[in-house]
Amino acid sequence: MAKNKQTMSRALQRREDIAGYLFMLPSLIFFLGFVVIPMFVCIGYSLTDATMHQQAATQFVGFSNFAKLFQDKVFLEALRNTFVIVIVSVPTVCAFSLWVSSVIYKLSGPVLSAFRCIFYLPVVTGSVAVTVVWKWMFDNYTGIINTALKGAGLIEKNINFLGDSKWALWCIILILFTTSVGQPIVLYVSALGNVDQGLVEAAKVDGATDLQVFWKIKWAQMMPTTLYILVITTINSFQCFALIQLLTQGGSGTQTVMYYIYYTAFKLTQQAGHFGYANAMGVVLAIFIGILSALQFRLAKEK
Amino acid sequence: MKTIRKVLALVLALCMVLALAACAGTPAETKAPESQAPASQPPAETKTPDEPGTEMADAITLWTYPIGKWGVEEEVLKMTNAFTEATGIKVTVEYLAYADGDDKVNSALSGGGAPDLIMEGPERLVANWGDNGHMVDLSDLFDSEDMSEINAVNEGVMKACTHTSGAIYEYPLVMTAHCMAINRNAFEQAGALEYVDLEKHTWTTENFIKAVEALYAEFGETVGAVYCAGQGGDQGTRALVNNLYGGTFTNAEHTAYTWDDPLNVKALEQLRSMDGIAFDASLAGGDEIAKFYQGVLKMAFCWNIAQQLDPNGAHGDPGKTVTGDDIEFMAFPSEDGTAKLQGGIWGFGIFDSKDEGRIAAAKEFIKFMCDSEHTADAVKTANYFAVRTKAGGADLSNIWADNEIMAEYNVLMPMLGDYYQVTTNWAQARTSWWTMLQKVGEGADVAEAVAQYAKEAIGG
Amino acid sequence: MKTNNVGPRATVYKVISVIILVILAVLFVFPLYWIVTGAFKPGADIYAQKPVWWPSEWVMTNFNELLAKRSAPLWELKVPFSQWFTEKHEPLVFSAGPSVPAAFRWLINAVFMAAVAMGLTCITAAMAGYALAKKRFRGRAILFGLIICAMALPKQVILIPLLKEMNFLMFTDTLWAVIFPTVGWPFGVFLMKQFSESIPGEILEAARVDGSSEVRTFGTIVLPMVKPGIGALAIFTFINCWNDYFMQLIMLTSGANFTMPLGVATLQAETSVNMGLLMAGAALAALPIIIVFLIFQKYFTQGITMGAVKG
Repeated sequence: MAKNKQTMSRALQRREDIAGYLFMLPSLIFFLGFVVIPMFVCIGYSLTDATMHQQAATQFVGFSNFAKLFQDKVFLEALRNTFVIVIVSVPTVCAFSLWVSSVIYKLSGPVLSAFRCIFYLPVVTGSVAVTVVWKWMFDNYTGIINTALKGAGLIEKNINFLGDSKWALWCIILILFTTSVGQPIVLYVSALGNVDQGLVEAAKVDGATDLQVFWKIKWAQMMPTTLYILVITTINSFQCFALIQLLTQGGSGTQTVMYYIYYTAFKLTQQAGHFGYANAMGVVLAIFIGILSALQFRLAKEK
Repeated sequence: MKTIRKVLALVLALCMVLALAACAGTPAETKAPESQAPASQPPAETKTPDEPGTEMADAITLWTYPIGKWGVEEEVLKMTNAFTEATGIKVTVEYLAYADGDDKVNSALSGGGAPDLIMEGPERLVANWGDNGHMVDLSDLFDSEDMSEINAVNEGVMKACTHTSGAIYEYPLVMTAHCMAINRNAFEQAGALEYVDLEKHTWTTENFIKAVEALYAEFGETVGAVYCAGQGGDQGTRALVNNLYGGTFTNAEHTAYTWDDPLNVKALEQLRSMDGIAFDASLAGGDEIAKFYQGVLKMAFCWNIAQQLDPNGAHGDPGKTVTGDDIEFMAFPSEDGTAKLQGGIWGFGIFDSKDEGRIAAAKEFIKFMCDSEHTADAVKTANYFAVRTKAGGADLSNIWADNEIMAEYNVLMPMLGDYYQVTTNWAQARTSWWTMLQKVGEGADVAEAVAQYAKEAIGG
Repeated sequence: MKTNNVGPRATVYKVISVIILVILAVLFVFPLYWIVTGAFKPGADIYAQKPVWWPSEWVMTNFNELLAKRSAPLWELKVPFSQWFTEKHEPLVFSAGPSVPAAFRWLINAVFMAAVAMGLTCITAAMAGYALAKKRFRGRAILFGLIICAMALPKQVILIPLLKEMNFLMFTDTLWAVIFPTVGWPFGVFLMKQFSESIPGEILEAARVDGSSEVRTFGTIVLPMVKPGIGALAIFTFINCWNDYFMQLIMLTSGANFTMPLGVATLQAETSVNMGLLMAGAALAALPIIIVFLIFQKYFTQGITMGAVKG
């Protein structure tokens, strides 16, 4: 790239600069205005003791919010849960959707379409609407899951899915899972359909097993799709905010950083409105996500 | 790598600039009204009574929590339309839910979209938003006549509405005693009716335990839930635990929390040991009512007269579950059968918009609803009891005379206990309370959990 | 036992897989099934302690109750930034239509919000993606790095600064407060860059030599080639914006400005057991988005095909 630049004449470079930035401009206004600048303001806030009530002047407090953060048991639990959600849901969604697609992509047109639509349904039904139904299904007293498990003789006493810290986080992950796999399946189905058949045939002639064909050829060719899926699934896992707000309000061991930021900022607790503190959490989360995205991108690029 | 370094350098540089800006006092980005308030000025002094010359605003906003029918648009519109007709001031109403209403108000306060008027109780208006300097002092709305009319009903009301600084942040409209409820048909079926005194609506701890045992023997399932999904309806669980063996939540002066009382530990242990009672972290107060209304739970700890009149807010038959079972309201069980009930007080507060015209209009609204001939309607809309004997010359003591349920409910009112929800650090105490219930429910050592969370509440 | 070609083992595997898939399919369809039937169930079915699988009687009471619950003006629009141009420094507000059941307004709001966010994102992202992929301007690497890092950022991170900013711009409690940050989210730019990479450089070079202006080149050559990508981005943005409960929750405060998903969530908070009402709301909320999906479905699958082919 650097070489490329040198060979370009200065006038040409200027032309490219102007054209490039003019094309970027509309997007940049929104990106800088509503993502980047707030992010920097967030970093600025995190170094102060700003509160919602603002009765005294805001003080610069250095990194003390961060120091406090790592002694806050709730935050550490939230960080762990956030990590669990991402680490569990991203690979399972990818693996599951790959498996489903590999089963259905060779089926006949209408059947394929039907399956694709079905797995996409929870996405288009909307997470709020789906959550409402799941809340009823997980219900401790009249929930259909408890009724079914009891009917089958698997359990004796109803399980309090959403009120028990052994279960609640996994219930959230499960709901998140159903609202996340739709898109990856659609993507993988098309990607599998587009694998270069010539290569596959050639490998088969050379005596490669189905599994080898899959990994060596199909998987390699689907790498861009996989990258895309990794990114959207990660984005999707952060939509768990709605599930937590509607199902457990952060109780029963389902606190996540996303929810704890909101909780610290706006729930009517004694800490309510500790903006400096809440923003410090935001900064930690942003660093965590930034590294994760960069890593995903690197890994996928190198392959 | 080079790119990453450049990005990092940029980030760091910008951070420092912003941190410096924030350090300097008022960060450029905090354009919210609260930051413009002179820091040294105590909130109580910022307002003066509306003097002639202040032009009254022609439109105000009111946010209400679902307090009786003050959560039903059709009914509220009747009240606000009457007000608009009388004064020409338009009122826009938004309806909050307990599940996320507080969040909405707080986010509106930080985002600059706070309403003029808010309808709720002293634990929010006085102990929280008032304490944090967001509310307008309403002292100038009370004359000695108002005070005596209110004190004639209950002396605790004005005390609860007054901040420690002396400012009054809530103009009370209605009050009630929170109680519990039982499903009469289920009790009958389980042969447990002998344990309750349906005349006086009271029972003893011993009988409560026997009744739960009988119900559990009959139905084989949880019959009552100590709900703890959040702070919604937490007055019920507090009253249950406190009354069972006579423990207290705060001291009489409201200066300290006393719920690490061994009597409370005993009560929590007792409740946890009962088969028919479950600590349920999947339910909040509202969900518990719903389960009771559905007939699944046989008793509800989150009950009051508004629920009795309109169970679950479902507009079904008064005093009936959805399956048609009879609902009996009951005082909480206590050793000698005389419970101390938690009071509920609801009224209006005004958010400090720094706009004299809007504040004056909001005060006009309060006078109209709480201190005029229209007060009877405002009280009836709330489905609770009036906090005063007379308003604007009209007698309020008989407004519910034609309602049998209300008349019967009056037996509970003398049991009204101390209104302690305005103790310092109240918001923290509530949070600690339900978190503690969750831990206890999951099998934590009761004494330890109580000690830990009570300490958290006190320490803030 | 190793099988090279289609042996009995492979067939068994296939049959079992399909059976598992069918079971899973039932699980995935169930929520929508329950919402649609629940919306038409009478109260007795809804409150029943044992699940009622099929409405004992199809009734409209839930919808009637939903529509009677709140009212709002049919349409209101605050013109963004207009406060800086009016005399009293108050934003211009266009209001139209009679008072209607709030659910209709919520529906209109949600569709407006998601559609505008979708349109703006597609335009800005297509332009930016093209520039990032094909223009060798200085600072491009830094910008792209920033975009990658910010792509997956949850909006909760900047919750407070965003709220302050919206207050400053007088967007609080308007749909713009949800729309603009959604447009700013750089995922679309990333996606469109990936698509634009596949445009052959020679074609662009040829156009330049022919004296075609930049705008013309973009309009006549680039846009048609990345059209499938735009289709994919459109559906992704629409659905994501629609489902972004968090932004709607913090930005929209008055009942008239709610969106359908937020309205349903509020109903749940208010009447946690009135499932019928909730299901009626949820059914109304799901309808438009399913329609959008069906319309764009073709573009969607097509779009991904293109993206996958390029390496």
